[in-house]
Amino acid sequence: MALVEISNVHKSFGEVEVLRGIDLTVEKGEIVTIIGRSGSGKSTLLRCINGLEQINGGEIKVAGERVHSRSTDLRKLREHVGIVFQQFNLFPHMTVERNITLAPVLTGKIAKGDAARELARKVLAQVGLEEKIDAYPGQLSGGQQQRVAIARCLAMSPYLMLFDEVTSALDPELVGEVLKVMEDLATQGMTMILVTHEMNFARNVASKLVFMHAGMVHEEGRPADLFANPATPELANFISSVR
Amino acid sequence: MRGFTISDVLTMLAAVQWTATLVVLALAFGAPLALLLARMCTGRSLIARLVATGILQLVQGVPVLGLLMFFYFGMPVFLGIKVPALVSVGAAFTIFTAAFLGEIWRGGIQAVHVAQGEAAACLGLTRWQTFRHVIAPQAFRIALPATVGFLVQLIKNTSLASVVGFVELARAGQLASAATFQPLLSYACVAAIYFALCFPLTLWSRSLEDKLNGAR
Repeated sequence: MALVEISNVHKSFGEVEVLRGIDLTVEKGEIVTIIGRSGSGKSTLLRCINGLEQINGGEIKVAGERVHSRSTDLRKLREHVGIVFQQFNLFPHMTVERNITLAPVLTGKIAKGDAARELARKVLAQVGLEEKIDAYPGQLSGGQQQRVAIARCLAMSPYLMLFDEVTSALDPELVGEVLKVMEDLATQGMTMILVTHEMNFARNVASKLVFMHAGMVHEEGRPADLFANPATPELANFISSVR
Repeated sequence: MRGFTISDVLTMLAAVQWTATLVVLALAFGAPLALLLARMCTGRSLIARLVATGILQLVQGVPVLGLLMFFYFGMPVFLGIKVPALVSVGAAFTIFTAAFLGEIWRGGIQAVHVAQGEAAACLGLTRWQTFRHVIAPQAFRIALPATVGFLVQLIKNTSLASVVGFVELARAGQLASAATFQPLLSYACVAAIYFALCFPLTLWSRSLEDKLNGAR
């Protein structure tokens, strides 16, 4: 069974149909990058996967569970499906430690106190920021904040991580450190779905590339194949425009 | 007729305790109501939103004096019981506080970016946990200067209770004025005491505002 099964998903914002029949499956351990022009529905699709957006038709299953079914406990599902946002969305009034441990403590995964701090240390080590454990988000650079946001996700030990244009709000010189963390995660076998404009990452790290166009999956396949031989003029145009 | 003496001032100062009692009552009962209204205004239920917004609009559109009269003369009529002035006056200021603080706190909650709530929900927090740990602390910081500012309004507005004969600071001033035929002196004294109560709060509100702006 695939970890994520998306079938014939439709989604409209008012009159505008943003997703028009998306089909996509993601196997455990896959790194899927979604590329496409802005407005093609990439971020919306990502937000549908963890139930942040409702859908108007079709179905999305994560680990066999229908995300948009009334009987699904979204909260339980989200404990295992992490998402990292473009704008980091750290909690500005909490230290890095508290940002990371808030959810694991409140959901009963771990006890308050030493165990929680230990967990924060562990995940911060994974993103190379152990020394910032007592800092506030406002004292960190954009790249560091984004790495903390990734650590905050990791603290919930998710089996799937979603990345929504996580480097788009960063100064160019800070992009590398975040991509490095994501590459490390990829090599450790984390299942990841990313919406990104980082073509090098899409080409070199991803196991599957998805090109979205006008609310549909226009092309999908191995990154090397798609970049070398785009089957449609839309993808060819897109590749040449981002080069 | 007698002259205006220090004992008149002492009587006024003693009456401050009733002004303070009104303020404490209004906050003790009004603040929880305000929190409830603010939550309803920003919640997901459409009915709750409409009801809460309706209450806020209605109360804010009525002068405090009107509220006072309504509760003072209305409670005996509608409830059929004679209630002490403190109860009816306290009820009026409770409603007043609930509406205005409710509006201030609603603004505070809405000023916290939607994405903060999304991020918390995505980490598996319940809606209450999200409010308690993520939204409320940030909203409180944003709304604190305005909340302290409202406190000043509340203190000054309790003077209206004097019109229904409740003896607080303003009423004590009236009585002193009537007894001594020294209205200017009496009311100057009343004004000075109000100022002494409110000015520190105004300063505090200002400094909180500066701190908030500095932190952004």
